Amino acid sequence: MLDIRVLKALALTFFLSFTAGALLAQEGDLDRGEEIYIKRCLQCHGEDGDGLGPAAERLNPPPRDFSLGLYKFVTSGFDADMPNDGDMIRMITDGMPGTAMPGWGDMLSEQDILDVLVYIKYFAELEDEPETQTDFGVQVASSPESIAAGRVLFEENDRCTECHGAEGRGDGIKRLRDDNGDRTWPRNLTKPWTFRASNDPRDIFARISIGIPTTQMPSFADPASNKSLTIEERWNVANYVASLAKTEEVVNPANFVVQGTRAEGALPTTPDDEIWASLKSSTFMMVPQIVGGERFFTTANDTITVRALYDDAKVAIHLEWDDRTKSIPGDAKAASIADAELYEDAVAIQLPREIPTGMEKPYFLMGDGTDPVNLWRWSSGSTDKPESAGIVDAMGIEDQQPRGDSGDFQATGSFLNGTWRVVMTRSLRTSAPETDLQFEEGRFVPISFFAWDGSNSETGTGHSMTTWYWLQLKPAPSMKPIFYGALAGLLMFLVLIWWGAKGAARGRKARDDAA
Amino acid sequence: MRIPKLLQAVLVLVFVYYGFIVVFDYILGAVIPRSLLTMYMFFATAGVFMVFTFDEQGAHELVAPIKAMVEQPRFRFIRNLVFLIIPIAVGYNVYGRTLPSFEAPVELRTIHPAPPSTAKIYGNRVNLLTLENPFRHTQTDDPELFAEYVAEGAEVYIMNCQYCHGDKLDGKGPFAEGLNPTPLNFQDIGTIAQLQESYLFWRITTGGPGLPQEAAPWISSMPVWQDFLSVDEVWKVILFLYDYTGHEPRSWGEADAGH
Ligand code: HEC
Ligand code: HEC
Repeated sequence: MLDIRVLKALALTFFLSFTAGALLAQEGDLDRGEEIYIKRCLQCHGEDGDGLGPAAERLNPPPRDFSLGLYKFVTSGFDADMPNDGDMIRMITDGMPGTAMPGWGDMLSEQDILDVLVYIKYFAELEDEPETQTDFGVQVASSPESIAAGRVLFEENDRCTECHGAEGRGDGIKRLRDDNGDRTWPRNLTKPWTFRASNDPRDIFARISIGIPTTQMPSFADPASNKSLTIEERWNVANYVASLAKTEEVVNPANFVVQGTRAEGALPTTPDDEIWASLKSSTFMMVPQIVGGERFFTTANDTITVRALYDDAKVAIHLEWDDRTKSIPGDAKAASIADAELYEDAVAIQLPREIPTGMEKPYFLMGDGTDPVNLWRWSSGSTDKPESAGIVDAMGIEDQQPRGDSGDFQATGSFLNGTWRVVMTRSLRTSAPETDLQFEEGRFVPISFFAWDGSNSETGTGHSMTTWYWLQLKPAPSMKPIFYGALAGLLMFLVLIWWGAKGAARGRKARDDAA
Repeated sequence: MRIPKLLQAVLVLVFVYYGFIVVFDYILGAVIPRSLLTMYMFFATAGVFMVFTFDEQGAHELVAPIKAMVEQPRFRFIRNLVFLIIPIAVGYNVYGRTLPSFEAPVELRTIHPAPPSTAKIYGNRVNLLTLENPFRHTQTDDPELFAEYVAEGAEVYIMNCQYCHGDKLDGKGPFAEGLNPTPLNFQDIGTIAQLQESYLFWRITTGGPGLPQEAAPWISSMPVWQDFLSVDEVWKVILFLYDYTGHEPRSWGEADAGH
């Protein structure tokens, strides 16, 4: 293998140095490119550029196969069969958010990137320039009218909703595979941080116009398509897609706390109650469980949004996360979209058994023998059984004991347009303080979350999770601080008066003595 | 004009206070916790007080303006003002402190806790003080074999470690932001470049749960790699870490100076 490649490389260098010596210097050096490729890229993209590096199975999407010469995020025409160099340089320099492909701009120089570019193009013997380019026309600035027009086109004929869902959460009910037969999921358009090529309208315009080669995301500039759009229409759709970005429910890396609010009236019992939307929310990043037991590298859920309410007797925690699929085992439709195996969707809250006094918390992955945890678990049910909820006592990921009797713990969920909402309630205090966390107003309680996407074959120890965060049941405002403040001020005042009187007397005495 | 001693003392303290804030919050980029600042200021105040009252003359000068204020009728207005401001400030401070706190507890942690001298790894007790990388000698003896080992280590890394530590070994893998504490950056001169290979072997094989008591709060999500990797794989991935970053492992001779 290697020999052939070296020979080819030699031949190419030879050829290039004869025909376009000047061009070569400016374009990049194949040998240097090979060196860089071997050190930095080979582990993922494979020795032969076929994307079959050792971690391919554990990455979703898998590394690109360069031997086909097909690239996803391009600006050449939809009918061109190769990208512009600039497209590839951009992906290599900036990386591809939401994938394992990092940006190399901070490690490789511009020349390095040109060198490695020559090398990866060479895998598919890409030469020349693309025959056609995408026409960007005149950009339509974003405006409420443009967005409204874009929305109509997005939904018309099921143009984008077919795959991206009614609200753009990627929950279109289709089973998609790319040209390699790998499962692909339409992008959740409300999460721009997962866009490989940004959600700037210009980038979205390019995607709509060209599609995403090798995937089922089609070109809408192609006149052969009965859903094709004019340039102006494409700008409107791009503006609409850009406007879908979530603004509230996004991860704020500086926030580690879920703040529970004291309820004014009765605690809501359904996840769709309007009060939830009015509360302050905290959103946390979820990552695959790759620490213990059977690991799962390609989980589907990546964030979870949490809100909490409480009253004198109970606490209610509201969980919300985007999931493209409502996974109901036994349901023919769900099974047709699901990956290999279909399990229930599920979610769990992890809490320590007691509020830690020191800094030490239970092991973040379901506790251990010395510090067990409570898991409040809900799962979506199947065609044979309704949704279910219960408390699990866990002492490590391999030792989870579901309780026969979970006391007054309750949980219920609802699914709409690619979002699950689940509310869990329990008494603040229970009759079993040895095994149940007892909540106290104002105290910080460690809390973390687990989620399973059943359609992505996540079950058992295969799930996504967060690290420990905090839950605080924020005390209702009280008069106490004002009272203590006034008291301290008054005491200080009395002390000063006493000191002042003594000082004044001393001063008088000194003056009298002097006189 | 000479600045009165009292004003000098106050100025020094104000300078120290803002000095801490500038150094921590802006230069080091890590906002200084309130409790720490209070503690530092306590020591600073005590120090300033000791310096200024070193001799009787100094002590005298320091308190003179205060004495004058309460003793001399011509300063009555100032005294009344001070007597009003101080109780209000104290009351406000107490009010602020009794307000419920919404700031999460601060978690201080040791990044490189001292290793134990022995540890139980792969079911055997190993002496970390004498442990060496069995493949390291190939670096000089047989560079070709060494390159092969490094390549095998790279495979182990890409399959297991890059998700968190990043394929550029910069601690910014795709999962990094979901973890607390965030994964170590091996490119940084302050991590593996300061450590011996046996230390890495211990940290990799026993992971977060293998951290000693003083490394609390023990929430490192570093997996226990002896559950997933063979001894040889761990040593090879260590070769890879140093090779990729261009750092040299710390050798035993230098070790006595640190840790
Ligand atoms: C940790 C694994 C990893 C490493 C290392 C890596 N890549 Fe990638 N790369 C990927 C993945 C995964 C994709 C596919 C993303 C997708 O399909 O959305 C990709 C895609 C690409 C693409 C395709 C962009 C497109 O528009 O289709 C290029 C070009 C690329 N990589 C170049 C490089 C170069 C050059 C290097 C080395 C300097 C490198 N990669 C190193 C994982 C990696
Ligand atoms: C047949 C299914 C399908 C249709 C129809 C479809 N898409 Fe997509 N779309 C996909 C898939 C699959 C992906 C993810 C491709 C990948 O693996 O990177 C995607 C990705 C995207 C992205 C992400 C680009 C990035 O940088 O990551 C955008 C934006 C997008 N689509 C917009 C649209 C719009 C707008 C329409 C309608 C005009 C549309 N799509 C129609 C399947 C579809």
